[in-house]
Amino acid sequence: MTALLRYQCALLLRSQRWLPPLVLYAAVLAVGVQAGQPVLDSLGYAAAALLPVAAWLVRICVTGEPPAARACVAAAAGPARAHLACVLVALGAAVLLGTAATVVVTLTGAPVSADHATRVPRLPAGTAGLLAVLVCALLGTAVGVLTGPPLLRAPGRAVPAMLLGALLSVVATGSPAQAAVTGLVTGSQSGRVPLPLLPLAGAALALAAAAAVACALVSRRAP
Amino acid sequence: MPHELRLRGVGRRYGLRGPWVLRGVDLTVAPGTLVRVEGSNGSGKSTLLRLIAGIDAPSAGRVTGRPRRTAYVPERFPAALPFTAAGYLTHLGTVHGLSRGAAARATAAWLERFGAAAYAGTPLARLSKGSSQKVAVAQALLAGPELLVLDEAWTGLDAAARAELDRAVAERTAAGGAVVFVDHDPRRLAGVADVTYAVRDGGLDRRHPGGTAPAAGPCVVVEAHAAPGAVPPAEAHRWAGSAAETAPGVHRFTVPASHSDVLLRALLTARPPWHVARVTPAAESPEAPPPPEPQSPPEPRPACEPEPGAPSGPGGRR
Repeated sequence: MTALLRYQCALLLRSQRWLPPLVLYAAVLAVGVQAGQPVLDSLGYAAAALLPVAAWLVRICVTGEPPAARACVAAAAGPARAHLACVLVALGAAVLLGTAATVVVTLTGAPVSADHATRVPRLPAGTAGLLAVLVCALLGTAVGVLTGPPLLRAPGRAVPAMLLGALLSVVATGSPAQAAVTGLVTGSQSGRVPLPLLPLAGAALALAAAAAVACALVSRRAP
Repeated sequence: MPHELRLRGVGRRYGLRGPWVLRGVDLTVAPGTLVRVEGSNGSGKSTLLRLIAGIDAPSAGRVTGRPRRTAYVPERFPAALPFTAAGYLTHLGTVHGLSRGAAARATAAWLERFGAAAYAGTPLARLSKGSSQKVAVAQALLAGPELLVLDEAWTGLDAAARAELDRAVAERTAAGGAVVFVDHDPRRLAGVADVTYAVRDGGLDRRHPGGTAPAAGPCVVVEAHAAPGAVPPAEAHRWAGSAAETAPGVHRFTVPASHSDVLLRALLTARPPWHVARVTPAAESPEAPPPPEPQSPPEPRPACEPEPGAPSGPGGRR
């Protein structure tokens, strides 16, 4: 599995296909986050923006190999493990992006609540932001897994489904990402730093289920 | 302890209601056997190979006993991957279970064997079709697979690389690995395949029960000496088209050129070792067989022609 992860990592890095999602994420953050804004608001925004980026990274990773090269790896390591490696590398890339954004936002944001009345310490705020970023990375990865090959192969259906899935995951009530982001925003209003552990568990479960379905189907569906 | 790969009632169709590409296929591949799969275009040969290699799961039936080290060579390898040839092969070597150092060494060795050492640092996207195919073949051979699945792997290779792949297949089977292959050339490894199957109408027919197909490719005559009355090693009998004791202690073996190295290795590593006196290209096979297939190519070769310019024996490689 280590060798597979290393191979998929190298494939993602050398293909430079990570660049468009990175640029998009940076642009969205540049538009919505300014230095000196209340830190929890900015962290919530950074986490929410990461979700579609994570889904896009999954799409990049699972479609990164030509079918012939994919078949060679599938024979060597098993198709399910090969697919899982793609998903895990995409998740790792999303977590890396989100962590970097969290660190920057935590350091540049103002350590105060939304009404500038209560002080919000940076370290607990950063921890809460990191957890929210993890929730959004996990859930975004799950969306990418469910709306990409082998479940949806035609890009004409897969890409709109991915965008819709990502949007719903951010705004729909009951979604772990929505809960985590809302927790940060209401925390910013009240001045109390939330700890979104329940959404984290929910998002991890969602990704585990999505990955299990996709890995089971990858050798059964038509190439 | 290696187990045999078994397909029991295996079927495959694409989609939930698609037509069956294969249905009710029973197949056993024992370790150390060379299996040829034939069939017309679109008959489901590639689907069968993908099931054997474990890339696709059967829609019906079961596949059991697939060895852990399985390798697959696709018929076309248009690798638009952002690696150099050596970089890609080293990665694949580790995926096949080698350590990084062993993968790098195996990469260098196999690129050299296929005459592609000069392309080690070339990006895969800039390789010619034939050179990409060499990378695909080398990828499969890196870790000494217990099951090697070749889907027209010879297509696009130059003559030297095709012969090298023949020898690599002979080495794998001699080392106890199973090899399953499809090739449109009926002379490919003719006479050395243990079993030939034909895919027809979604089913599988056994063509030759055992290695009775006559050798049709170039052959090599090996003359070896041993103590009078010595029995040739079992491998020698297995691969040699004919073996005869021409004088007391003097044996002549006629083997397909792809298997000459395997025969020599068997003779030289036997206890006590045999003395190899002469290795010569065979001019004519003892029994000249007819062209093996009705749809044989327009220029039928003589049964055992001397391989032009190709020396035999383990040291004969460029």
